[in-house]
Amino acid sequence: MTSPAMTAHIRIRELTFDYGGDRPAVDALSFDIAKGEFIGLLGPSGCGKSTTLRMFAGLLAPTSGQIVINGEDIVARPPWERNMGLVFQSYALFPHMTVAQNVAFGLRLRKVGKAETASRVAEALRAVRLDNFGSRRPAELSGGQQQRVAIARAIVIQPEILLLDEPLSNLDARLRDEMRFEIRDIQTRTGITTLFVTHDQQEALTMCDRIAVMNGGRLEQIGTPVAVYDQAATPFVANFIGRANSVPATLSHLSGAPQLRLEGQWLPAPRAEDLPVGVTDGTRVSAMVRPHAIRLAKPDGGLTARVVRRVFVGSVVEVELQLADNHTLIAELRPDSDGAALAEPGAEVAISWRPTDMRIFAA
Amino acid sequence: MTKLLSFISRTYVIIVFCIVFMPMAIILVISFSADSYLSFPPSGWSLKWYAAVLGNTGFMQGFRNSALIAVIVAGLSLVLGLPAAYALVRLDFPGRTLIRSLVIAPLVLPAMMLGLGILMVFTPAGLVATYPGLVLAHLVMTLPFSIRILQTALSNLGTDVDEAAMTLGARPLQVFVQITLPRLTPGVIASSAIALILSFDEIVLSLFIVGPRLQTLPVALYRYVDERTDPMVAVLAVLMITLSLAIVLIVERSIGFAKAFGR
Repeated sequence: MTSPAMTAHIRIRELTFDYGGDRPAVDALSFDIAKGEFIGLLGPSGCGKSTTLRMFAGLLAPTSGQIVINGEDIVARPPWERNMGLVFQSYALFPHMTVAQNVAFGLRLRKVGKAETASRVAEALRAVRLDNFGSRRPAELSGGQQQRVAIARAIVIQPEILLLDEPLSNLDARLRDEMRFEIRDIQTRTGITTLFVTHDQQEALTMCDRIAVMNGGRLEQIGTPVAVYDQAATPFVANFIGRANSVPATLSHLSGAPQLRLEGQWLPAPRAEDLPVGVTDGTRVSAMVRPHAIRLAKPDGGLTARVVRRVFVGSVVEVELQLADNHTLIAELRPDSDGAALAEPGAEVAISWRPTDMRIFAA
Repeated sequence: MTKLLSFISRTYVIIVFCIVFMPMAIILVISFSADSYLSFPPSGWSLKWYAAVLGNTGFMQGFRNSALIAVIVAGLSLVLGLPAAYALVRLDFPGRTLIRSLVIAPLVLPAMMLGLGILMVFTPAGLVATYPGLVLAHLVMTLPFSIRILQTALSNLGTDVDEAAMTLGARPLQVFVQITLPRLTPGVIASSAIALILSFDEIVLSLFIVGPRLQTLPVALYRYVDERTDPMVAVLAVLMITLSLAIVLIVERSIGFAKAFGR
């Protein structure tokens, strides 16, 4: 660690956008992005992810805070001096220009020579597999092809950051899956630091190096897809990424082996270091368990539940379970597992999960 | 049942069209009359009234004036209307909503009142019976239309494409000239065509401020009808309709009317 500017390509510090509503649209956002990283900004609509992206592009001026790129705060720079490639959900191609002219637009403004422009445009179109489409008009292309032109147009200027604003949302399901890998592949080859805005957790999980989960203008958690899925930092993250069951419980025996009092049963709790800070014996918490972590067995005197419903959904069987206090849990079981066989509607079953599969949040 | 309904609706449409177009058809027929007064049907056919119109210095002078004024008004409507529309759609400033509604006020005010007001202002300014005066008066009529049409066209464009250009390195003026303006062409043509037609056909405001030395074609026609009624009136009406129709057709053929009005 020589200087902070060398460790992080981009540093976002206390970035805030407040247009005078009940709460800021983006509220004191801070995180770092490494060179070449593919970062997902994930959250429900209205969480501030697009506002953040627009502040990066310079299309919105932050109320306060910094966006530091290569050691320099760019907040005061106009969009045309930021060297960012922006790809919109609507493609936003120039309809009166050919595909090649679209891609060449940024180079023309940079006064790049004719020969170099031609070769770089050809290279960018090859990268998005549209080699022979240069002379077409955007209106003659399909949605997926238009989106690829938009990507070529953004990467040809070798931007400092590639900003993708829900680029896949207008595509049909099959094309969307295909484009996911294609975009990630292009990004890996070019090594351009990328900020990818999406509301689709599946897209974020499959594409990103790290995911920044936003809610109500605030950063809930930033981490690798595995980390945000397995070690959700907040109940919001646990519920937004994947499905999660939530059961109220009480903590005890924190000094020794922590225990969880749930439905009159004692369960081993996660290790003390995985518990929220400030909990003591008797703290009311909520325990989060993923549906696929729940195991079913014959009643054995431990935690039991009644099977309400069993639904076959292909790769898994979904079982709805009701605890004695009327809390409902969803379990996902392999169709050929013993548990699935036990899950006859109306039957009493024992349910369990490993302490490490559980996340404890302050209630 | 559906057959009967379709018969009724077709008949209804035909009746409406007849009501709208019958007067024009009658005028067209009368324009080829050989009679020396307006009568229908004419007792004989000739082109002599067309020749009479073309040989009438008053009408020809009026036509030249109207055409010149219409072209200037159309140009100015665009030059003044486009920045106004841009500001009203794209820029955020206090009072924008109020100005948006005020801009169309001339359309809801009685033309008589506008004419009187214009006369009161123009007389001390020495603008009565001058080209600049007529152009200014017509602009009061055409600008609301131009601004409205361009406003619709601009808001239909959205901002994504312009913003994409901006992030690629284009400054605001470059964005406007290279991206916004080309995409706005249909709206520009439509608003100019409307301004041209409105100005060429304008009569109420013109009546207040024309003078014996400077007359527009509609005013000349109006004054002529006041004194005499011969088929020359029908010929002029046919010529004016043809001109307006030609402009509308050019717009329709070149860009499509729906597109021109930002649909």
